[in-house]
Amino acid sequence: MWLPPSARNHTLERKHEPNQMPLIVIAEDEFLIADVLTIMLEDAGYEVAAAPHGRAALALVREKRPSLVITDFMMPLMTGLELAQAMRADVELSHIPVILVSGAQGSIGRAHPEVFDAVLDKPYNEKKLLDTVSGLLS
Amino acid sequence: MHELPRLSTGIPRLDTILGGGLVEGASYIVQGHPGAGKTIFSNQVAFANLARGGKVLYITLLAETHDRLFQALGTLDFFDRSQLGVNISYVSVFQTLRYEGLSAVVSLIRQEIARQSATLLVFDGLLNASDRADTNLDVKTFVAEVQSQAAFAGCTVLFLTSTRIAEDSPEHTMVDGVIELHNELVGVRTVRRLQVKKSRGSAGLGGYHQFEITSAGLVAYPRLEAILSSATVEDRPGSALIASGTAGFDAMLGGGLPESSVTLVFGPSGCGKTSLGLNFLSRASAEEPALHFGFYETPGRLLKKAGSLGVDLETPMKSGALEVIWNPMTENLLDKLGHRLIDAVRSRGVKRLLIDGLGGFERAAVHPSRLVEFFAALTNEIRALGVTTFATWELRDLFGPTVTAPGSEISSLLDNLVMLRHVELGSRYKRTLSVLKVRDREYEPVIHELGFGSKGLKVISALEPVTGATTGVATAVGQEPHA
Repeated sequence: MWLPPSARNHTLERKHEPNQMPLIVIAEDEFLIADVLTIMLEDAGYEVAAAPHGRAALALVREKRPSLVITDFMMPLMTGLELAQAMRADVELSHIPVILVSGAQGSIGRAHPEVFDAVLDKPYNEKKLLDTVSGLLS
Repeated sequence: MHELPRLSTGIPRLDTILGGGLVEGASYIVQGHPGAGKTIFSNQVAFANLARGGKVLYITLLAETHDRLFQALGTLDFFDRSQLGVNISYVSVFQTLRYEGLSAVVSLIRQEIARQSATLLVFDGLLNASDRADTNLDVKTFVAEVQSQAAFAGCTVLFLTSTRIAEDSPEHTMVDGVIELHNELVGVRTVRRLQVKKSRGSAGLGGYHQFEITSAGLVAYPRLEAILSSATVEDRPGSALIASGTAGFDAMLGGGLPESSVTLVFGPSGCGKTSLGLNFLSRASAEEPALHFGFYETPGRLLKKAGSLGVDLETPMKSGALEVIWNPMTENLLDKLGHRLIDAVRSRGVKRLLIDGLGGFERAAVHPSRLVEFFAALTNEIRALGVTTFATWELRDLFGPTVTAPGSEISSLLDNLVMLRHVELGSRYKRTLSVLKVRDREYEPVIHELGFGSKGLKVISALEPVTGATTGVATAVGQEPHA
């Protein structure tokens, strides 16, 4: 879960180490969806950090260097598209796979294959999400 | 006089209730219990704004996911999925509020309005914001800051809340307008009504106005007596006489129906009220377009009835000179009926109108005490539009010693009164017609017998001398029982 700097625990503060389970950053403004995604991914053995909007997610990505990013499209301050574009423009982040999960903007995501590695339309099932994640991480 | 720039709501007739629409850059509270229609209201306004080239920021503080919202909105005609994320953004600031407080939400809103060049901001969840505030002052400051930042950018704001904000509350005082949506149980039915409780800088229509939610979204029906407190066009009564279409009837009326008058034809079931009206409609032409606005017969049954009476309605219907609008006597809204009628009259320039019958309006009235004002507004408008109207009213009693004027004060609003009765005379029933009042004209004050000919209902002749015909039980003159 994303937490403001004052509330973050030590675990989230530490740098991601190569020998740990892959870290996935979730960019999602709707807390219920962020919570469900976090539980699903943690149950599958991934480490998860979440941010409530694209700008916070970009900061988290820069700080943590995750193995993969899952982003919503419509979010405050920075959309999922803007987040992915910012990552692709940054040589240090451009290699990180980005999955767009969206209820209505899947077509916009598919129009930008240069920034999104996969697009999942809501609703999707847990298996499809985990297969997509593991496929991109393998 | 300086006119304020307006933002149309896209909700039919709501702009009129608001005195011209929302004021651009102004802020409004939209309040109502869950299920009252706030979400559809705000999204309809949002998509209407998009259709005019605007940009919308829709901020939520709710637990419901946006996907569920889109699923529900997907059933409505105005919802355009292709606009999502392009010209309208739905974003949740729940986590920002939870971890960083109201001031962070204000900051985020300010940045988002600027980033998206939003012309409309919808903030859904003022109640949740209030819950997070430590004091009333925090909410007041929150509302003030959001609205001032939005106003600076020329962005109109809708604050949605499911609580009823008191009229003396700071929020109520600060915003430019308050719109309240109601969904109330009246008897066994529910009725939706809205009220513009505050509308700064606008001469809106006060009081309750009915609305409904259809696949097109909200449709508002301003109280007819409020929106038509005076006729929309000047009433210039002509002096022409209009043919009734019933043989022998015009002579009784003193030559015909006065142009742009309203004639009430009342009597018990089966005495010929509709038949008299069908004759009137059969004179429809391109010069005198006609409208049947009824509650009882479907268009198919009406045509069949006219055909069996020898009255040709098919020809004027096929030519477009006659339109039939059927309003089933189920759950109706009084003002919806009124607007439907006025719209139909205006759209085709109707000159001959049959309302069959006025009781349909009475049944639709949630507050029957309004009927006098309602009918006054309706008849004033259709008269001013130059329409000559036949309106029927069914009397409850088939026979009886007394005849009560229909609709108490309503009959005094009408120009001409015609009474139809069944009269028992010598073991036979006869249909009779009496003219009781004609506007500004002499008429024949003699009871006549009606009958059916090859071309519908007609006046046969004056009824033979009897007493008690108006009670329904007549006695030949000279044979009255002695007291």
